[in-house]
Amino acid sequence: MAADTSPPTDTVTVLVDGKEHKFKKGMNLLEACQTVGAKIPFFCWHPGLSSPAVCRQCLVEIKGSPKPVPSCYTTVADKMEVTTNSAKVLDVRRQMLEFTLLNHPIDCPICDKAGECSLQRHYFDWDGKLARNEGDKVRKAKVVDVGKHIMLDQERCILCTRCIRVCNEVAKAPELTMAYRGSHEILTTAPGQRLDNPYSLNTVDVCPVGALTSKDFRFARRAWELSSTPSICPGCATGCNIEVHTSSGKIRRLVPRENLAVNKFWMCDEGRFEYKAVHENRVLLPMVGGKRAKLDVALAEAAHLLRAATAGGGNSLGVVFSFAATNEDTHALARFAVDGLKIQGAYAGGRAAGWSDDILVSADKNPNTAGVKHIAPPWLQTLSDLAADVASGAVTALLVLGNESLALPKGKLSALVVLASHQGALVDQAHVALPVATWAEADGTFTNRDDRVQRIHSALATSGEAAPAWQVLASLASKLGMNLAYTSAAEVFAEAALRYPFLQGALWGPPSPLVQLRFGESRG
Amino acid sequence: MVFGESDISDFDNEGDLPTETMPLMMGPSHPAMHGTVRIALEVEGEKIKTADIQIGYLHRCFEKEAEYATWTQIFPYTDRLNYVSPMLNNVGYAIAVEKLLDIEGKIPERAQYIRVIVGEISRITDHLTCLAAGAMELGAFTVFFYLIKGREWLWELLEEVSGARLTHSYVRIGGVVADLPEGWPAKLREVLAKVRVALGDADKLLTRNKIFRDRMDGVGVIAKADAAGWGLTGPVARSTGLAYDVRKDHPYLVYDRFDFDVPVGSTGDNFDRYAVRLEEIFQSMRILDQALATIPAGPTIIDDPRVALPKKRDTYNTIEAMIAHFKLIMDGLHVPTGEIYSFTEGGNGELGFYIVSDGTGRPVKCRLRPPCFANLAVLTKVLPGLFIADVVPTFGMINMIGGECDR
Repeated sequence: MAADTSPPTDTVTVLVDGKEHKFKKGMNLLEACQTVGAKIPFFCWHPGLSSPAVCRQCLVEIKGSPKPVPSCYTTVADKMEVTTNSAKVLDVRRQMLEFTLLNHPIDCPICDKAGECSLQRHYFDWDGKLARNEGDKVRKAKVVDVGKHIMLDQERCILCTRCIRVCNEVAKAPELTMAYRGSHEILTTAPGQRLDNPYSLNTVDVCPVGALTSKDFRFARRAWELSSTPSICPGCATGCNIEVHTSSGKIRRLVPRENLAVNKFWMCDEGRFEYKAVHENRVLLPMVGGKRAKLDVALAEAAHLLRAATAGGGNSLGVVFSFAATNEDTHALARFAVDGLKIQGAYAGGRAAGWSDDILVSADKNPNTAGVKHIAPPWLQTLSDLAADVASGAVTALLVLGNESLALPKGKLSALVVLASHQGALVDQAHVALPVATWAEADGTFTNRDDRVQRIHSALATSGEAAPAWQVLASLASKLGMNLAYTSAAEVFAEAALRYPFLQGALWGPPSPLVQLRFGESRG
Repeated sequence: MVFGESDISDFDNEGDLPTETMPLMMGPSHPAMHGTVRIALEVEGEKIKTADIQIGYLHRCFEKEAEYATWTQIFPYTDRLNYVSPMLNNVGYAIAVEKLLDIEGKIPERAQYIRVIVGEISRITDHLTCLAAGAMELGAFTVFFYLIKGREWLWELLEEVSGARLTHSYVRIGGVVADLPEGWPAKLREVLAKVRVALGDADKLLTRNKIFRDRMDGVGVIAKADAAGWGLTGPVARSTGLAYDVRKDHPYLVYDRFDFDVPVGSTGDNFDRYAVRLEEIFQSMRILDQALATIPAGPTIIDDPRVALPKKRDTYNTIEAMIAHFKLIMDGLHVPTGEIYSFTEGGNGELGFYIVSDGTGRPVKCRLRPPCFANLAVLTKVLPGLFIADVVPTFGMINMIGGECDR
């Protein structure tokens, strides 16, 4: 039976700036106006939060209403006539901005938000008049340590309450509040509270000005020096969509990117610090027997070891997959080890499980567990199985992808070839260690806990002699005379997409050029 | 055939001489060639058969650089286009952006007068350079000193206005960066009087000088139809009788308030180009005299913190001006989405800027129409038939400037 999906009562007709538009019933007027291209400035409203209508910046005229009304607090109604750009509306907006700027400190040169600040942008777009007041500004506290990761500057605060709502509505941790009144009103923590919830840094993102700043990013870089690359947080199986902000070849911060199906507008504090590992403790050069070697020599040695280990049929060679590797690297490893070397013993490791909540954080701290389970052979075993197999002598040679912190019994392995991005016990023991790229330096896809395949883009050039694992495996394959000649991650993906049902319908997508925040207009 | 071995006496008449043409490269290291330009000649004896104009690879990348600079940061690049008349480039670029911003009518009158004044001084220095160098290349070294000295006096005045002798970056979107210094108009009048004397001397030394006239008269003739057909503008086009001057035909700034003539030539030869430039200097002086007499008092830049930087005092003391300053410097001013071709009369002719904006702080495309690029191209038609020695005055009177011509 065909269902009547849109009965006429579901939509309302609204006149926006003289043009008729149809909107879904119950829609927020500000959002509705945005969808039809009417530009309305706002500070306190946020698409992921409730509407308090405290900033009065989104005022519009509605026919029949004696005064301008805040569009963020109005629901569309049938036959409503809205004007978003009349002289009166523009004038009240300008007056509200003048009011907001009245006590705002002259901090732009030392403010971390400068360059991505909503107040700067709205002043430039909607006010553009010089100051009329000559009196002193109301002074408030400037460096208030409100939480583990956050500093508060009460003077800069424009009292929009977005941060309070993030704590209340997203983190479910009511730690912030307003105190006092009038021009003495301040943002502060509730008595005896600290802003220490696991989502506290989202308050910095939603802060339209530089009142809340991240201790980690504070004074580290100016916002307009950063370039942005879309990616996926590698911190857990949730796969929050993020922007990687880089400058001078280093990641400076990770911020959430909107994806209503996964993380909405948010990410956890833990995830934001995932970038630090990219620049620490890296394997940068190929090692043979614990000593630096030329890449070609190391590849030849690894090929030699693997050939020798598979000479008797390959039953004593094991391969270790990583739940932290991309689908592409995993597929390349499966092709290399299982199809090519006919390895029987397949194991998988990754980062240890941890805490979780029902907001965003998963207990599984690997970004691609689902993908690896789809791609790796079905007889995949755990790392404790591997330890037993090595101890019993069932596995005498090992090919490992990833940074496993695994202590294997010494002298039991005739060959240990490790493809790793970071130093660790296994790299130290390896006969051959080959450097590979991290998530931040490679193109690829991760599959999150809901089997959603999401694309990561390389935000940095690879460090040292590291290359994406699929590329290292392709080089190894050519040393072994195997046909595994990939030239790009897209090619690996295309091959994988034909093979695994979970990748059906997934698209590689276009390349993502670096967006300079200075000109990107994407923030603030 | 090997020369010297065969019996030369076999060639008993001219018709039997070998008739292959010879390739000859004029430039890029020939002293009369400017910058990286070279003219690949095919000569038959002393006579030019074909001429291929190769502007070379200066690689200033003006247009590409402009895509990576904010609207204001492009001014220093325009200084280096036609670098003997940087003010005219400043003005031309500023007007293009102002048209796109739709603030053309809001530029303060005083700023417009100042733009005319510094622009006309630049036009004079441009023509002085061309005449001086052209004369020098024909051996008239004294004239070079007389005229270049005049140019120097004028540049000193522009230095006083802008702080830089050559790379002025004086004009801003919305006006000019600072008012004229105190006592400056009087200094300009003095300098103009001295330049008049220098021009008189040069005129005496050149205009009725037989050697000079023999090299210039009837040499490098450009037909009026060719001037239109090849897109020639400026003094080169006017020497052919084509009376096209953007200041008259499409007036901008306050040019329609001044009384001045557009001199034109009759034959389009090198001497006409010399004479047109000489007369244009006097016409520019007429404009300067009128502008100095009628310049109104008032602000020199538009009163809009979204276009012009606020005063430093306000920037340091009010948040509004601080934000405006910050946004203008860091993001660049916001030019509405759109495109425009805007043109002014540069030193060499129609200086055009075709600008595309996507609404951000920097242009998507900033295409330049350099007048001397078209002016130079016509030489490929003019040079054949002339003698090698004619290349020097003909090329000199085109006034090709590398920084502008560079593609």
